[in-house]
Amino acid sequence: MFWPLLALSLLPLSLAAQKSVHEQLVDLAAAGNGLIQLNEQTYDLLASPMRDWSAAVHFTALHPQRRCAPCKEFEPAFTAVAKAWANAPKDQRDKHFFATLDFDDGPAVFQKLGMSSAPGVHVYPPTDGPNASAKKAPFKYDFQNGFEAGPLAEQLSVHTPIPIPYKAPFNWARAGSIVSLIPIITLVFRFIKPALQNRWVWAAGTIATSLVMTSGYMFTRIRGAPYTGPNGAWIAQGYQNQYGQEVQVVAMVYGILAGSFLMLTVVTPRQLSPTRQRTQVYLWTTVNFLVFSILVSLFRVKNPGYPFKLIL
Amino acid sequence: MPAAYPLPSDLSPVTVANTASLLRIIALALISGAAIASRLFAVINFESIIHEFDPWFNYRATKVLASQGFYEFWNWFDPTAWYPLGRVVGGTIYPGLMATSGVIYNLLHALNLPVDIRNICVLLAPGFSALTAWATYMFTKEMKDESAGLLAAAFIGIVPGYISRSVAGSYDNEAIAIFLLMFTFFAWIKALKQGSAFWGTIAAVFYFYMVAAWGGYAFITNMIPLHALVLLLMGRFTGRLYVAYSSWYAIGTLSSMQVPFVGFQPVRTSEHMAALGVFGLLQIVAFGQLVRAHVSSKQFQELLFATVISLGLIGFFGIVGLTYKGWIAPWTGRFYSLWDTGYAKKYIPIIASVSEHQPTAWPSFFMDLHFLIFLFPAGVVMCFRTLRDEHIFVIIYAVVASYFAGVMVRLMLTLTPVVCVSAAVALSTLMDTYLDPAEPSVEDDKSESSTTPTGTTSTSRPATPASSKKAKKNKEKEKEKEASASAGGVLSELVSNVTSSAAKSATTAERGVFGMDTRLVVLLNSLGLLLFFVVHCTWVTSNAYSSPSVVLSSTSSDGGKNLIDDFREAYHWLRQNTAEDAVVMSWWDYGYQIAGMADRPTLVDNNTWNNTHIATVGKAMSSPEDIAYPILRKHDVSYVLIIFGGLIGYSGDDINKFLWMVRIAQGVWPDEIQEPNYFNRGEYRVDSEASPAMRDSLMYKMSYYRFAELFGGQQPVDRVRGQHVPIQGPTLDYLEEAYTTENWIVRIYEVKKDDVLGRDLKIANAFNQGKKRKRTKPMSRRKAIGA
Repeated sequence: MFWPLLALSLLPLSLAAQKSVHEQLVDLAAAGNGLIQLNEQTYDLLASPMRDWSAAVHFTALHPQRRCAPCKEFEPAFTAVAKAWANAPKDQRDKHFFATLDFDDGPAVFQKLGMSSAPGVHVYPPTDGPNASAKKAPFKYDFQNGFEAGPLAEQLSVHTPIPIPYKAPFNWARAGSIVSLIPIITLVFRFIKPALQNRWVWAAGTIATSLVMTSGYMFTRIRGAPYTGPNGAWIAQGYQNQYGQEVQVVAMVYGILAGSFLMLTVVTPRQLSPTRQRTQVYLWTTVNFLVFSILVSLFRVKNPGYPFKLIL
Repeated sequence: MPAAYPLPSDLSPVTVANTASLLRIIALALISGAAIASRLFAVINFESIIHEFDPWFNYRATKVLASQGFYEFWNWFDPTAWYPLGRVVGGTIYPGLMATSGVIYNLLHALNLPVDIRNICVLLAPGFSALTAWATYMFTKEMKDESAGLLAAAFIGIVPGYISRSVAGSYDNEAIAIFLLMFTFFAWIKALKQGSAFWGTIAAVFYFYMVAAWGGYAFITNMIPLHALVLLLMGRFTGRLYVAYSSWYAIGTLSSMQVPFVGFQPVRTSEHMAALGVFGLLQIVAFGQLVRAHVSSKQFQELLFATVISLGLIGFFGIVGLTYKGWIAPWTGRFYSLWDTGYAKKYIPIIASVSEHQPTAWPSFFMDLHFLIFLFPAGVVMCFRTLRDEHIFVIIYAVVASYFAGVMVRLMLTLTPVVCVSAAVALSTLMDTYLDPAEPSVEDDKSESSTTPTGTTSTSRPATPASSKKAKKNKEKEKEKEASASAGGVLSELVSNVTSSAAKSATTAERGVFGMDTRLVVLLNSLGLLLFFVVHCTWVTSNAYSSPSVVLSSTSSDGGKNLIDDFREAYHWLRQNTAEDAVVMSWWDYGYQIAGMADRPTLVDNNTWNNTHIATVGKAMSSPEDIAYPILRKHDVSYVLIIFGGLIGYSGDDINKFLWMVRIAQGVWPDEIQEPNYFNRGEYRVDSEASPAMRDSLMYKMSYYRFAELFGGQQPVDRVRGQHVPIQGPTLDYLEEAYTTENWIVRIYEVKKDDVLGRDLKIANAFNQGKKRKRTKPMSRRKAIGA
């Protein structure tokens, strides 16, 4: 708390005194609360060929014009990790810098590095001094674990002098909402208790769950399949693939088919008028047959080698 | 009472009962025959051969068991697997499958039937499928009645969801496990219904067999406690539940700990804690019930209630605390990944890389279960209508299994039995309704059922609800009840299992179907569905699930069949042409096959217990030659075997699996191997645009080495990836091609020994080819060696 303020007050002095590159960087980092906001000049300072420090540089494009949604998503994670590094012991902290470069602040750097996409994180190993790394090429962070801060800190810790003291912040909002839910639930429980004791409520839940699960809902969840494909196509090509909308359609088809069986078994025999009953029997049998042939033709779309079909 | 069609009326009750049971036996026998026969496509189309990957290990272990006896098998240390670590086989497998085949083998030999062990292994799964059909029949009988049982048996006999894991030659744990699963469940339901410690013990014994046979036993370990817990929460605690659960848990757990691979897990891991917790809870509740029956004071009862609750809480927090302190192991990754579906991809890429651990898209459900998939919810509704204790079991099973089957393709296997049971209940209820010849008397639309439509004979009233047999039985029975008053005795005997539906007799008696045409329409539609189901199952089984994957087949344009036998060709070559202790490196998929067919030591195999070792192989495959070579030499590797499908378009080849090798290697050496390096601008390519890391990797080089020569100067095409490979193919310095099979599916490379002159092999190669480039570098190196 005390020392960043101090550094801030010292900043103009230090700039005036033409300090060494390293000291300038230390001051810049202190000013930015652990994170250096780069531009073309400071980038050259940071990435100078003779350096006894390492640096993690975050390339981004946050200007709304650039329309970089992932940049916005990733930015808080990098800032959080950089802040966590500011809590490292002083002697270790100054051996590694976190910096961020926005495209609009240094397009030339992006060009020089041949970067065509953002965000990106490069880690520059030290080239000079006792910790000099044999590798010259920067390490490029790959986003296979998503944009979370946890994996980022874990991966970058390999390159920092000491592991980054990053801890996931405690999710107060979630904890608060859970705590506040408890009285609400107990209150609501009193009213919904009769519903919970009704077997048909449970039956509806069970049927809905099994219908949705057998329609490939978990596939779309795990694979992150889109709701529909390009050009509004809603059937994904291929036997091992599907879109979100297919879950709904297939679950509905299964539901209608199961419903028609239930109608024939449970409801129709209760009908005491022969004509009405006959109408119902024919109706539901036809529904059953037609919808089943629709299902088979859907399946043929997914699996073109399937040789059977009903009327459709 | 009006009847839609007449029934014969001159049969005695005894005849009816006998005919019905004879018909049941014949039906079950035919179902068993169909179940076995439909699994023989693989043997008929190909030959009596062990399939795929894991079965090859099971087969090899069974051979040891059959030839050297049980104790040798139990103590077997296999030095050729996981070279140079070796594997303690006896303590790291579920021995149930091998023991079963061993018993059958010895039994047949004791009867002087010299059957080859291979044929026993190949035919074990079909044989057990017949037993599964029987166990499902017994289980469903408890749910509804015999007719539903027969339908369920027929369904599970031929449903592709189960056939996929149990065709002839698919000699894997699942082959016997589904029978054990169903029978354990049946015994549990029986124990619960009767409150019988005897059936509880039978459930425990079969549970033990299941534990010895398949890792999926954890499903039973959690299903039964869940069922007990739900019954408890619904206020259905009875002495029967207490007896059944306690006998099952005590005996089952103690016996399951006798399996070495399981050991103390039942008291030390989280997967088993639910069973222990429910056991404790039942003791507390039973104790509370007992004390309450003996005291009358209200205050004391309240005190008791508080004690019971606090005891339960203490137990719960005790388990949580023990888990936290590390006395109880938390959930294993495989189990955990079922709940947190993103977990495996992040932390255990080996589990995520297995194709059968992928989530299931809906076409798979339809392919494997066909029309059962939508009868299944209808059957669950039927269970909700009666909602006896055993129906709750089916309902829980339905929910849990449909979730699991959605998360992992292989767990479709556990969903299949409940789908069959539930669909059979639904379909047989439908058929009961529309086969019953009794018609309600016609009434005016407005006057509701104030007058009961039943009436002509007094005996028909209790009989009507019981009319739930198959068609023939039904007719006979109905006629019976109209013919004589003595029918009641027969019927009560026949219908002993349907007693509960008699409770509904008051309402069902008023229901019925009018006319013949309505009956015919519904029955024909159902019959059509059943026929379509049979045709579908036959087609799926013969086309999709009967390939041994050791031998491939392709259909030529004129409809003829070509067999592609490259795998066995290559393994045979290894067996014939290499030293017996020559270590073969391949990706882990082929480890068991190399051990089983070529009988050579392997670095890694399908028992993926050592991630680092697998990552080492992954690193060697994805590194450039000069980095891979020391790894190969340090592991004494003499031959490297890869699968290459580019020539004939076999898509399951190593280049397609390559990214998993990279990923797994990256998990251990994040500095040296990085997945993005193998992409060119986000695209996975093998053509001239391939990324440098890709082009230099050992796997790429070995796959495309001399590939261009086949095309005689034309641009070579990779038929799997549909890309043009460069005409100037890769060169190899540290390995040399040893053997390539007819269709190029398997390529074997020999690792060169050190150069006799001590040169680096790359330089030696350059020298042999008379190249004089790189003048400065070789000079300095030679100097260095000289100095």
